[in-house]
Amino acid sequence: MAVITLNVNGAMRSADVHPGTTLLEFLHDYLEVAGAKCGCEEGTCGACTVHLEGKAIRSCMVTAASCKGKRITTIEGLAAGDRLHAVQKAFLAVEAFQCGFCTPGMIMEAAALIAEGKPLTAARVRERMEGHICRCGEYNSIVKAVLQAAQELKRG
Amino acid sequence: MAERITRREALGVTFLTLAAGPVRIQVALDGTLTAFTAKVELGQGARTELIMAVAEEMRVPVAQVRLVMGDTALCPDDGGTWGSLTTPQAVPLMRQAAADQRGGAITPPSQWKILGTEVADVRGPDIVTGRQVYPSDHRMGGMLHARVVRSPYYRAKLLKAGDVAGVRVIRDGDLLALVSEDPVAVKRAAEQIKCEWEPVPFPVAPSDPQALAAWFKANSTPPVENPNTRYPPLVRRGDAQKTIHSEAGKNASSYWLPYIAHVPMEPRAAVAVWKDGAVEIRGGCQAPFPVRAEVAKALEVPESHVRIIASGPGGGFGGKQRGEIEIEAARIARLAGAPVKLQWSREEEFTCAYHRPAGLVEIESTLVNGKLDTWVHRNYNAGAPGLPTPYDTPNVSCEFHRTPTPVRQGSYRSLAAVSNIFARESHIDEWASQLKMDPFEFRLRNIGDARLRAVLEKLRNVRGGLACTIEKEARIALRAQVSAQGREIKVQRLVYVGDYGAAINPRNLRKQIQGALVQGLGGALFEEVIFAGEEQKTRLLSSYRVPRFSDTPQIDVELIDRRDVEPAGAGEAAITLVAPAIANALFFLTGHRLRNLPLQPPG
Repeated sequence: MAVITLNVNGAMRSADVHPGTTLLEFLHDYLEVAGAKCGCEEGTCGACTVHLEGKAIRSCMVTAASCKGKRITTIEGLAAGDRLHAVQKAFLAVEAFQCGFCTPGMIMEAAALIAEGKPLTAARVRERMEGHICRCGEYNSIVKAVLQAAQELKRG
Repeated sequence: MAERITRREALGVTFLTLAAGPVRIQVALDGTLTAFTAKVELGQGARTELIMAVAEEMRVPVAQVRLVMGDTALCPDDGGTWGSLTTPQAVPLMRQAAADQRGGAITPPSQWKILGTEVADVRGPDIVTGRQVYPSDHRMGGMLHARVVRSPYYRAKLLKAGDVAGVRVIRDGDLLALVSEDPVAVKRAAEQIKCEWEPVPFPVAPSDPQALAAWFKANSTPPVENPNTRYPPLVRRGDAQKTIHSEAGKNASSYWLPYIAHVPMEPRAAVAVWKDGAVEIRGGCQAPFPVRAEVAKALEVPESHVRIIASGPGGGFGGKQRGEIEIEAARIARLAGAPVKLQWSREEEFTCAYHRPAGLVEIESTLVNGKLDTWVHRNYNAGAPGLPTPYDTPNVSCEFHRTPTPVRQGSYRSLAAVSNIFARESHIDEWASQLKMDPFEFRLRNIGDARLRAVLEKLRNVRGGLACTIEKEARIALRAQVSAQGREIKVQRLVYVGDYGAAINPRNLRKQIQGALVQGLGGALFEEVIFAGEEQKTRLLSSYRVPRFSDTPQIDVELIDRRDVEPAGAGEAAITLVAPAIANALFFLTGHRLRNLPLQPPG
C-alpha cells in the first residue's frame, strides 16, 4: 500500500492504494468519485474516459501513480458549478442516452474533441468516438448532441 | 396508515418503514406523491413513463411525483422488468391507482395531457453530471469487497483451493471467494490465485451448429397445447400436419442462430448485508421479486427475510433477470460476517451470465392460388415468443420444442421472437422470389390485419429488404438498405414504421426503436459466443464485436400514433426485424439466401 495524491477536479485528493492501482480504480474505488465507469478494463469501451491535462484518456489503462502532478478532470468536474458544459447541455437536450452508463465517457471524449477547436462534421465525430460503446444504441443521437454542442460553443 | 403498518407487521415483514406498504401511491401531508413499482429502470424509460402516468391521472405536474422502484420491502409485486410489459401492464395499474386516488375514471388516451407528450427523462440531469448511482457505485460503512475465483473452464468442480496473501479466502462448496477491505487487492488476488479444477465436459460442442442442431432435435420434447400462457408453445389452426404431407410444391427451409451475449455496459454488482438472519441486497437485477425467491431458496431463509433493492443498472437487455450475483453476494456476506460488495468483471459478465439461446427453426409451407395455405414452424430450443404468424393461413402449426441446453441460457431482448421472425420473414421472401413477385406485394396479399397493412403501406415506395410482423401487439415493418463487398456487409439505412397504439412518450418510443434496431445489427451481422473444448473462448469485450458508431446507419422512424388504441410495449419488438430485413436485402443484392445468423455471405 502507498499513499498517492492526485489533482482531481482542482482539489488534491489522497488515497492509500494497492500497488499498480489504475487511475480508474483510484477515482472510482478509492476516492468514490464514481462518474468514470468501469465497463471492460481493457480500453475497449470508453466508459472510464476522463481528461488528463485536458486530453481524453482511458483511466483504466494508466496507473494512478503515473498521473502525479497532472490535472485530472472527471465528469463531476466538467460543469462550472451549476452551469453545465455545452456538451452536457446538448446530451440533455437531445437526450442522447438511455441507461446512461456510457454517458460520462462519451461526454468527456466529446468535450476534449470540441476543445481541439477543429471544424467538426458528423463523419469526424463518428471517427473520433468510435472507441466508445453505447449498448443502448444512442449513437446517432450522440453525434447530433456533439455537433450541437460544438455549434453552441462556436457561437459563444 | 397505522392500519397498513399493522397489516405488514402481521405479515412478518422484516424491513418496515413508515412509507412501506404494498400500495401503489401515497400522498404525503405536503401533497408530494410517492408511487411504488417493482419495475426497474434499465434505460428504457420506465421511471419517467410511470411518473407521467401518476401525474396524468392525479392532474399534477411531473415534478410533484416521486417513484420508488424495485424494492421488495416497499413496492407491490407488479412483475419483473421483462417482456415489454411495463407499458401494457404496469402503466395501466398505475393509471388506475392514481385515478382512484383522484376519485375519477381513468383518462382515455384521446384526452391525455401529460401521457402522450415528450416528457424528458427525469434521470437526465444526474446522468450528464455523473451523479446517477449505478449498482457498481453502491457502498456502505464497514463493507468488504469481494471477488469470486472462477475456473478457466465453462463448468468445473473445485478440487483444491489455492492460497493468496493479503486477502481472506472464503469457500462455500464450489464457490470460492476472496474478501478484503481493499477493492483492488481483492481484484488482483482473484487474478493471481491458482486452484485445481476438474472440468465438466459439454454434452455437445456449443459452437458446432450442425452437431448442436442435431442434438437439439434428438433431445427435444414436442409441445403440448397451452393457450393460457403468455407465450403458447403450440399455435394451431386447421390441419397443418395433413396438408403439409399431401400438397405438392412445398417449400422447406431451416434457419439457425447461435448463442449470443447481452453485454450490458455495466458488469453487475451487488451489496449484501445480513442482520438477525435476514439479508438485504442492493443490486441491479431486472426482477426483484423473482430474485428474492431465488435468494431465499438458495440461502434457505424465508422470503420475508430477503429484501432486494434493485436500482437501475447500466443496461440489462434481458440478461439480468436472475439472481446469480445476489445469491453469491448473500452467501459470501453470510460467511464473511460483514456487509459485502461483490463485483463481477467484464470477463465474468461474459462467462458466468446466461446467454441468448441458440436455436434451430424449421419451416415447411405451401401455397394455394398464390396465397399461403399451410405453415408448419418448429423452433428447437430458442423459445416460443414470436411464434404466432401475422399471415392469414388456414392451416398452421407453430411449435416450440423444448430441449436441454449445453450452456446457461435465458431471456434476451424479445427472446425467441428474434429467431422465429428471422425465420418467418426470410421464408416469406423465399416464396416471393419463387413466385417472381415483389416481396411487398406478396406480404400484402397474405396479411389481413388492417393496422399492419397500414404500416406496410408507409414503406411501399421505400427501397430495401423488407420485414414486418405483429409483435407484442405492435404492428411494425422495416426496410433495410445494405451494400456488400465480399464478406463485408454494410447497412446504409434503416427505415422503420411502427404502430404501437397510443404513444405514451413519442420521443422515448423512437429511442427504444432506434436502440433495438442498433442492437439487432449485432445479432444479425457479427455476434456469436465461441466455445472450444471445455471452455468459453469469448471472454473479453475486445473479442466480441458489438455495434459501434461506424456500424450505425441512418435510421428513420415513423410512428403511427393511434389515440384510439391502448399502448403496446416497445422495448423489444423492433429488434426482431433487423436480421430478416438485412437477409432479404442481401438476397436481392447478391442472390444468396443466408439462413444462419450471424449473416455471412460466402467469400
